[in-house]
Amino acid sequence: MASSPDHHRNHTHTLNGDSKAHASKKPKLSFITPSEIASEFSHHDPNVARINNGSFGSCPNSVIEAQRRWQLTYLAQPDSFYFNELKKGILHSRTIIKDLINADHVDEVSIVDNATTAAAIVLQQAAWGFSESKFEKGDAVVMLHYAYGAVKKSIEAYVTRAGGYVIEVPLPFPLNSNHEIVSEFKKALEKGKANGRRVRLAVIDHITSMPCVLIPVKELVKICREEGVDQVFVDAAHSIGCTEVDMKEIGADYYTSNLHKWFFCPPSIAFLYCRKSPKCVELHHPVVSHEYGNGLAIESAWIGTRDYSPQLVVPAVLDFVKRFEGGIEGIKKRNHDTVVEMGHMLAKAWGTHLGCPPDMCASMVMIGLPASLAISSEKDTLKLRTHLREKFGVEVPIYFRPPKNGEVESVTGYCRISHQVYNKVDDYYKFRDAINQLVSDGFTCALLSN
Amino acid sequence: MVCQRIMFYRYFVPHLLIPHQNIQILKPKLSFQMARASSYNYYHNLSAATDTQTNFPIKQKFSSFITDSEIQSEFSHHDPGVARINNGSFGCCPASVISALQQWQLKWLRQPDHFYFNQLHKGILKSRITVKELINAGDVDEVSIVDNATTAVSIVLQQMQWAFSEGKFKKGDSVIILQCAYGAVKNSIKAYFSRAGGYVIEVPFEFPVTSNEAIINEFRMALVKEKASGRRVRLALIDHVTSMPSVVLPVKKLVKVCREEGVDQVFIDGAHGVGCVDVDVQEIGADFYTSNLHKWFFCPAAAAFLYCRKSLTRSDLHHPMVSHEYGKGLAIESSWIGTRDYSPSLVVPSALEFINRFEGGIEGIKRRNHDAVVEMGEMLADAWGTNLGCPPEMCSSMIMVGIPACLRVSSDDDALKLRTHLREKFGVEVPICYQMPKNGQVAMTAGYARISHQVYNKVDDYCRFRDAINQLVCDGFTCDH
Repeated sequence: MASSPDHHRNHTHTLNGDSKAHASKKPKLSFITPSEIASEFSHHDPNVARINNGSFGSCPNSVIEAQRRWQLTYLAQPDSFYFNELKKGILHSRTIIKDLINADHVDEVSIVDNATTAAAIVLQQAAWGFSESKFEKGDAVVMLHYAYGAVKKSIEAYVTRAGGYVIEVPLPFPLNSNHEIVSEFKKALEKGKANGRRVRLAVIDHITSMPCVLIPVKELVKICREEGVDQVFVDAAHSIGCTEVDMKEIGADYYTSNLHKWFFCPPSIAFLYCRKSPKCVELHHPVVSHEYGNGLAIESAWIGTRDYSPQLVVPAVLDFVKRFEGGIEGIKKRNHDTVVEMGHMLAKAWGTHLGCPPDMCASMVMIGLPASLAISSEKDTLKLRTHLREKFGVEVPIYFRPPKNGEVESVTGYCRISHQVYNKVDDYYKFRDAINQLVSDGFTCALLSN
Repeated sequence: MVCQRIMFYRYFVPHLLIPHQNIQILKPKLSFQMARASSYNYYHNLSAATDTQTNFPIKQKFSSFITDSEIQSEFSHHDPGVARINNGSFGCCPASVISALQQWQLKWLRQPDHFYFNQLHKGILKSRITVKELINAGDVDEVSIVDNATTAVSIVLQQMQWAFSEGKFKKGDSVIILQCAYGAVKNSIKAYFSRAGGYVIEVPFEFPVTSNEAIINEFRMALVKEKASGRRVRLALIDHVTSMPSVVLPVKKLVKVCREEGVDQVFIDGAHGVGCVDVDVQEIGADFYTSNLHKWFFCPAAAAFLYCRKSLTRSDLHHPMVSHEYGKGLAIESSWIGTRDYSPSLVVPSALEFINRFEGGIEGIKRRNHDAVVEMGEMLADAWGTNLGCPPEMCSSMIMVGIPACLRVSSDDDALKLRTHLREKFGVEVPICYQMPKNGQVAMTAGYARISHQVYNKVDDYCRFRDAINQLVCDGFTCDH
């Protein structure tokens, strides 16, 4: 248990012992307790301050058990499973997701492995657009400079290779307001339309990875529509369980999010939402099976023999999430409030600052690392991360922010801390103390061997 | 009596069929096995330290091969109410490999970052090395691990699509396949090759099959015709073991024909390959070879490999799911395609350990499966008065057995209906296919069952199937109900 009580966490206690309790104690109103949460995540390495939920997510024991049950059903009689259970199970998961994300129709929701796969699906369609002369060579695709590395590669593999022109929207970091993002984005669209070019696709992160920032997607989608961008694809790898995810509100043509990051699913499962519209292009899964041509959702539900169990446990995850006060909304809010609180605590302890205002964060926040650590390259960030893991038992990703002209002794390294239901204040104290130790030891990244 | 028959088939027959082994060496084992044949529980009731039949001292570790009850235990998660004679569709995975799988999964769940940075790549490399040795590839760089053969096919065909778009291939350049190619493969060709402007040649495939020669001749004729038309054949996509109906194709000879007739590249779809037929990629000589490991190599769903001969310029092959590893070669790209459960790719060494507990390892298993399935196929054909779909030397661990014509399987739908009926009413799992009779021919039967044999199967499974069909015949059942 945390050494100092966290008033957010007491929220999830039963009403017993709470001096502000209601007069009548209802024994059946039992939200999940801290010890039940600890038990659900008892498989986590207890020696690690696991403050990086953002990278690989987490999965509670009760969902793992549900997954095992699906796996055993398959193993017991795979033919019967294939003919009688699989499609129903996938449809059930898709229906739950459709409701979660406020999509109009379950046909709009396909389940895929991860956002990386979703990006490949959307971008492969763009490549065909060029090869089949729907697009002209030189037509543009716009993406953020902070787009995820794999997505940038995917754009290179499908768009650049097919003859498209890629525009990166530069974003400052640290960030102070949404306005900074919006104005850079508008400038990039202008560039995209120069020389009679068409902007065929805008790829926009909902929450960038590194550095981690909440992007005002609704506003950017609106700008895209105003500026005549053909299609908008929101890469929201982190979103579901982390921030608001409402398809009709956001208004994009394609939207993807991983469910294994912030929605407690096992690796791996994501959804790809494709808005039903007259100009809708037929998307295909790159791995072609006998379901080819039956629509992306059906194609994705069978891409050859594999373990589909991660895609079948969404109902079990919903059960888990409902055990928390406020369900997923409650979890999101508490994660956000706590991570901001921890971020402030760390920034204060180290004499640094947050990477962006609290309202531009979700369940993760960027905090500057003391300049004395002398983080001077991306390689340094990896070395420092490894050092923190191996010497201090702290798991946290680090981002290198190159100093701008004229900057001296600036903060060049930012860590990205996450908060999820299994975290404790102790995890962040451990990190605080590790960095303080390194600073007081006169540590610099140059000291670490390659 | 029944038990003796089971033991007879299981143990005695394979020994008889091994022609080259020194019978003297076999002798103690043979009598041990025969002693076993006389009483199912013999091994378990052994209290004496000697074999009473030969006075041969029995060392507890004498045969440290897996025992019958250990095999049962390894597959105890299989539904006991089902005669599971369809290993070909989804394969199987023993409990010890499932346990290894779960251990990998727990490692990930415990500390995924550490797993990603320190354990994953090493584990995948180990699996790739295991596969490389298994298939006699020249270099581990030639071996990529992917989910399944379906994925491997998409990878190769996507490369072809780019070749058309980038002007390396001309519109109308062709791919040659057999008529019996797997449905998903035909769709993949449609999705990538045809859509990009390529032309598809389907070589007719006659079933029942009588000889390799017929297949080779038909194939060569088709290639010669293409050459005459001036079309370039960019790819030949050939099954090693066809799916439905299932037949082992003479791939080595077909590859040779391709080379002789100027086909650019040859891709062998060995979905059933490893653990079912001999897979020596250097012997076979193709440019690409893929096989699932979850069908006949005891891996969990799903793991497969794609072999790409090094002499090719492979820089063009990419995994369609692009990650930050893009451009580092297919093997590296395939080892990280975003966050997923990679544990099925990591248990290949554990599967090999399991296999090596069997006498003769994978070779022994293959041989015994083949012999048993031929035996069972002949037993069924005899019992029903039908025929096998091909000569025994053209099948592997699966064989096609004619379904009595009176059941009137006369369409794909009928075949599926019969299959469902067998599953639901008789607890028999077996795929059925419909073979349209050639023009003017009255076939003895148009329905064929594909029976498989794997180490967990028992003679009883096939007896159940035999009896189920006999019952249906007796009841006057027909598929048009």
